Amino acid sequence: MRDNLARPLTEQDVVVARELPDILEPKKRRSGLVGFAFRHPAIAVGGGVLLIMFLIALLAPLLGTVDPSAIAPSKRTRAPSADFWFGSDMLGRDIYSRVMYGARVSLTVGFGVAFFASLIGLVIGLVSGMVRWSDGIIMRVIDGMMSIPPILLAIALMALTRGSMGNVILAITIAEAPRVARLVRGVVLSLREQPYVDAAIAAGTRMPKLIFRHILPNMLAPIIVQATYICASAMITESILSFIGAGIPPSTPSWGNIMAEGRSLWQVKPFIIFFPAIFLSLTVLAVNLLGDGLRDALDPRMAKRI
Amino acid sequence: MFGFIFRRILMTIPVMGFVALFVFSLLYIAPGDPAAVIAGDQATPEDVAKIRAGLGLDRPFLVRFAEWFFRVMQGDLGTSIFTGLPVSQMIAQRIEPTLSLMVVTLFIAIFVAIPMGVVAAWKCDTWIDRVVMSFAVLGFSVPVFVIGYLLAYAFALQLDWLPVQGYRPIKNGVWPWFENLILPAVTLGFVYIALIARITRASMLEVLQQDYIRTARAKGVSQKSILFLHALKNAAIPIVTVIGIGVALLIGGAVVTESVFAIPGLGRLTVDAILRRDYPIIQGVVLMFSFVYVLINLLVDVLYTLLDPRIRY
Repeated sequence: MRDNLARPLTEQDVVVARELPDILEPKKRRSGLVGFAFRHPAIAVGGGVLLIMFLIALLAPLLGTVDPSAIAPSKRTRAPSADFWFGSDMLGRDIYSRVMYGARVSLTVGFGVAFFASLIGLVIGLVSGMVRWSDGIIMRVIDGMMSIPPILLAIALMALTRGSMGNVILAITIAEAPRVARLVRGVVLSLREQPYVDAAIAAGTRMPKLIFRHILPNMLAPIIVQATYICASAMITESILSFIGAGIPPSTPSWGNIMAEGRSLWQVKPFIIFFPAIFLSLTVLAVNLLGDGLRDALDPRMAKRI
Repeated sequence: MFGFIFRRILMTIPVMGFVALFVFSLLYIAPGDPAAVIAGDQATPEDVAKIRAGLGLDRPFLVRFAEWFFRVMQGDLGTSIFTGLPVSQMIAQRIEPTLSLMVVTLFIAIFVAIPMGVVAAWKCDTWIDRVVMSFAVLGFSVPVFVIGYLLAYAFALQLDWLPVQGYRPIKNGVWPWFENLILPAVTLGFVYIALIARITRASMLEVLQQDYIRTARAKGVSQKSILFLHALKNAAIPIVTVIGIGVALLIGGAVVTESVFAIPGLGRLTVDAILRRDYPIIQGVVLMFSFVYVLINLLVDVLYTLLDPRIRY
């Protein structure tokens, strides 16, 4: 063997690489929106469905709806027909109109909670991660809060306040914010160990600039992904709260309270629950898909793992 | 190891203290006047004042918290506004159905979800994997009561295989008890199965890339024992963790599932309490469930040391 290696190289030993184009087709990469949709189908599908739901919420009055609170006692619990596309409920209200208007509540609650919980969690997590002495206290309180199952926490808060959309958003935000705070703290602690942060501190960067220039931009991706999951879970929690009578009062139609009203009749009039359930599940599914897609797109290392 | 377990048990005491403090502060965090909300719309100012005094809202926070905390430590969770009975007694009467439901759900979920996750990781990037993962995303997206009504409609109303609603105590026979719990447990288990299957798959994928798996393959170890003996054992920690964390989902879901299937457990107690604005009951249930949740996660931490002898704290 050794002799072989020691002899001078001949023509045959040198493998000439073929020209690249023969082996590898240049990868066709579509640009623009279509290309993005092909590369990230989960984002495209999730975002698309979500966009449709937004349009429904926005354009609810124009979609052939009638007044969602208009009562017609003579036309109670009608099955779906040409007059009542999704049927009518116990008070003769048009379920199709209520479902279209209900999109407003679910989307507002979902995105409201996602926004406020992320914001509050971000601030608490930043303080906990950056201010050393506060970390112990804040984390103990957060451990305590996270030991309370979120739905129960929201139920307890709703039992103490009047049912309104603002209170529902507040209750679910209080239940969800600790999760964000803990995530943010974890990211801050790992970012603090980065050499570039040390360098910035050594260069005399002040705390606000350190946070806004160096820490926050690197935290955006995990927070956005987390926010989509919170949005999905908030919409489910809202429907559960409304369903057990601790949520939004029936005068404002929400997918949760339409289903709550169909509760006693589900064996004979399942359509009252069926239609809002389909819309709610589709929307939550879309948000979850969007979250999975964003996670894969923003953090390729995590892609395909979970 | 016993030293670790002892220290871990000691560590739960401050956590439980903070849980109690937080549950107690809900009365103060809630916007508006809780006493007026609990009293209802037709209440006179005297009623509101009475409820405020009953909740202790007229006295300083810390004094009130200390008093309340000592009573909770003695097992006194207060008195129901509606029935006048001690909350601890009302909870004790309702524990059996909820405990049955959660234990059956736990077993069904673990026996379904772990094989699902293992197979999905083994057949990674095939249609089997995709079906399992789609199921997992779907499980997170459909509210638990919708699943409940769908299953009840299909298997109880249309096919007439299982009872529609209700609960039979276990002392009246195991089969009637179990028969009534199948649909609720599958309903409640849906999200839980999705969660466990997802983590099992992720954890298995990680382990299956390890060198010792390749060595086992090279030795000619059968696929079955590679998956279930070599890999699953080493993938167990995240799975056990998520089984513990997921109990929070079970607790929240039980409240709803019990309403759908008319099971007279703690969930029903809570929902009835909401409708009657009977806050002491809600507070008691939340506190009890939170303590149970803390204890379950204590158990999970102790299990770590048994599953992985490398872990030393």
